[in-house]
Amino acid sequence: MQTFSGLVSVLMVFVWLGGNQVSPLRPICDLRVLDHFVREARDSEVIMRGCRGGCGVMKPYLVPLTSVDFAVWEHIDVHGQAVEVWIGLSLLDQALSNAMKTVSNSPLANALDNNISNIHSLGHILHSLDLQQARSTVLPDDSAPASTQTQEVSSLSELLQVQSSFLRGKVRLLLSAAPACQRQNS
Amino acid sequence: MTKMRSDRLKIVFMLCLAFVTTGGQHFESKVAQLLQDETEDIKCFVEGKDLTCFWEEEEEKNNLHDQYTFTYSYENKNKMPCAVSSLSLLASNKTIFFCKLSKPPFFATLNVQVLRDGRMLYSRSLNAENFLFLDPPRNLTVLSSGKEGQLNVSWLPPPLKYMDDSMIYEVRYAVEGSNMGKVEVIKVSTMLVLLGLQSDTRYKVWVRVKPDGVSYKGYWSAWTEPVFGVTPPSDMDPLIVLLVLFIGLILCLLSLTVFLSQHKFLLKKLWPDIPTPEHKFPGLFTVYKGDFKEWMSQNNGSMWGRSVHVYTEELASPLEVLSEVSLTSHGTSQREERKPPEEEEEKESERSDSGLTDRWREPPQAHWLMEQLKALQENPESRSQSSLLQSHDTYVTLNQGDNERQADDVFEETLPLQTLFTTAGTSSLSTSRSDLGSLQQSSGSGRLSSQSSFEYPNHTWPPKGPGYAYMAVADSGVSMDYSPMSSSRIAELGRHRMYTNDYKNEIFPHKWPFSGQYIKSGSESCAGPVW
Repeated sequence: MQTFSGLVSVLMVFVWLGGNQVSPLRPICDLRVLDHFVREARDSEVIMRGCRGGCGVMKPYLVPLTSVDFAVWEHIDVHGQAVEVWIGLSLLDQALSNAMKTVSNSPLANALDNNISNIHSLGHILHSLDLQQARSTVLPDDSAPASTQTQEVSSLSELLQVQSSFLRGKVRLLLSAAPACQRQNS
Repeated sequence: MTKMRSDRLKIVFMLCLAFVTTGGQHFESKVAQLLQDETEDIKCFVEGKDLTCFWEEEEEKNNLHDQYTFTYSYENKNKMPCAVSSLSLLASNKTIFFCKLSKPPFFATLNVQVLRDGRMLYSRSLNAENFLFLDPPRNLTVLSSGKEGQLNVSWLPPPLKYMDDSMIYEVRYAVEGSNMGKVEVIKVSTMLVLLGLQSDTRYKVWVRVKPDGVSYKGYWSAWTEPVFGVTPPSDMDPLIVLLVLFIGLILCLLSLTVFLSQHKFLLKKLWPDIPTPEHKFPGLFTVYKGDFKEWMSQNNGSMWGRSVHVYTEELASPLEVLSEVSLTSHGTSQREERKPPEEEEEKESERSDSGLTDRWREPPQAHWLMEQLKALQENPESRSQSSLLQSHDTYVTLNQGDNERQADDVFEETLPLQTLFTTAGTSSLSTSRSDLGSLQQSSGSGRLSSQSSFEYPNHTWPPKGPGYAYMAVADSGVSMDYSPMSSSRIAELGRHRMYTNDYKNEIFPHKWPFSGQYIKSGSESCAGPVW
């Protein structure tokens, strides 16, 4: 059941992102944009650590796996990497939105809102790098990877930590190895 | 063939050993540094792609690494074991136990635990990407950029994949031999231009690296080995060179102008002319080759007057020698006083009395005296008379003549004085401060009869006629011995021998009632003409 709900949410995210088709964007290859998002995710962790009251409730959140084994990662092609990144971003978006509903602390709520906006921006960046096409080819054939690619956390602080690790790891590796950016440099 | 293969194997082995040794050195140095800096019980760092966690040996010395168990887990997975090894650090004489995880997961929380004999000893949760301990940068190069005060520094990053754009570098530089250095921080770029350096100076440069802290974090690497670079010498600004040349040219022109306009003055100051008496004796040295007799004979009349005229104009310590003149014939208010001979002697020896000089500069008195002298010559019988004079100057009379005449001359010379002094009384002596030229009586030498100078009420000097000879003894040292004589006496000049002008003050006791001693002055040797 959980697996099915996860899959549905992923599909919804894809539909949503597909509905927001925009004109082809100029490739955004500057990793300093991602670094900006990473810093804001870290700020949320700091605010969470200092939060005293109204900091959300304990509830399970479905989040992506963040660990990167370089030896394994290098053997995955860029489209497979893109799929993992897309799924992870969608899961994080959903989890953060659910968490924000239970947060009454104003600074923390603002920080969470920032993080959600940043994840949407990352979608646009991936779109500009022409990496969204992979999802339609990979996802129907491979549903199992969704379960192996997710994990469950039980608190908002753990959720924020996963967000931070995911952005710094898989997302950054994908953006730094994006073929569109390699074509620009070469 | 086998020999070649064995040689190759040896080379490969040596290279591997060198690599391991180098890596081992890096590893040991990193361990040593973290032992000092890291406060956690279990210290971890990532070298390359491997994570190493280590801890110190406990107090008891009989610890064996078999007692320890190291486990790690991440993302809710099962715990996995890691083999424990030991290492003795030579530098600090300590032993550590460590476990090396090969290619651990990054961007995931790792939970590591150390157990000893089944009991939890240490535990820690960490993200591997936050504990990078990089090797120092490679191939540090320092080159002169050619511009003043600049050096180009470049290097290569440590060989680490995916992280080239996440590095931050620190460049340290200092003048060779100095301990005061500066630090520059630079992100991502692997070259830097050092600015504001001293010209023509040798600098030492070091570099180290660290993850920038956004995606990856870690510890500062060790400093590279220092590399030296020399800054280029300072260029002379062409504008400054031009200005210096221009100012130098102006100064040269100015000095040249000054020199040309004042060269005579400067020459006189730097290379003064040696005074010669030639201008006083026109033709003596050029025509007559120094034969004064000839010159005198040729230039008798006009020369006398001229020389007298010249001497009257002489300002430097004039000591006018008057001919024997009896000043008593006129019975004027002239008064002559006599000073003690000692004063006379001193004055004569000094020869440059300012008082004398002052008095000599009073032409009216000279004219008056001249008149008196003229009158006296015309009336020789009036010599017996004397008049008391207030004197300030000294007249030294040179009497030229034969020995047989000396007595008469002496008598003639001394008479007026005697007469003068007998009538003067004591009052004049007490009031007068002038010097008295004492009489000189010496046989065979020029004699001086000195008379006090006088102070005339009307401050006039008698004019000096051609019949009277005067000698102004100037500093030039040339002294002429003249005596008041007529032309007949001049004719006798040739018969007199050359003498050095020794002035000896001898006072005949019978002539001077109140001077009963001979006084010999300091003689001055002056080369004089032959008389």
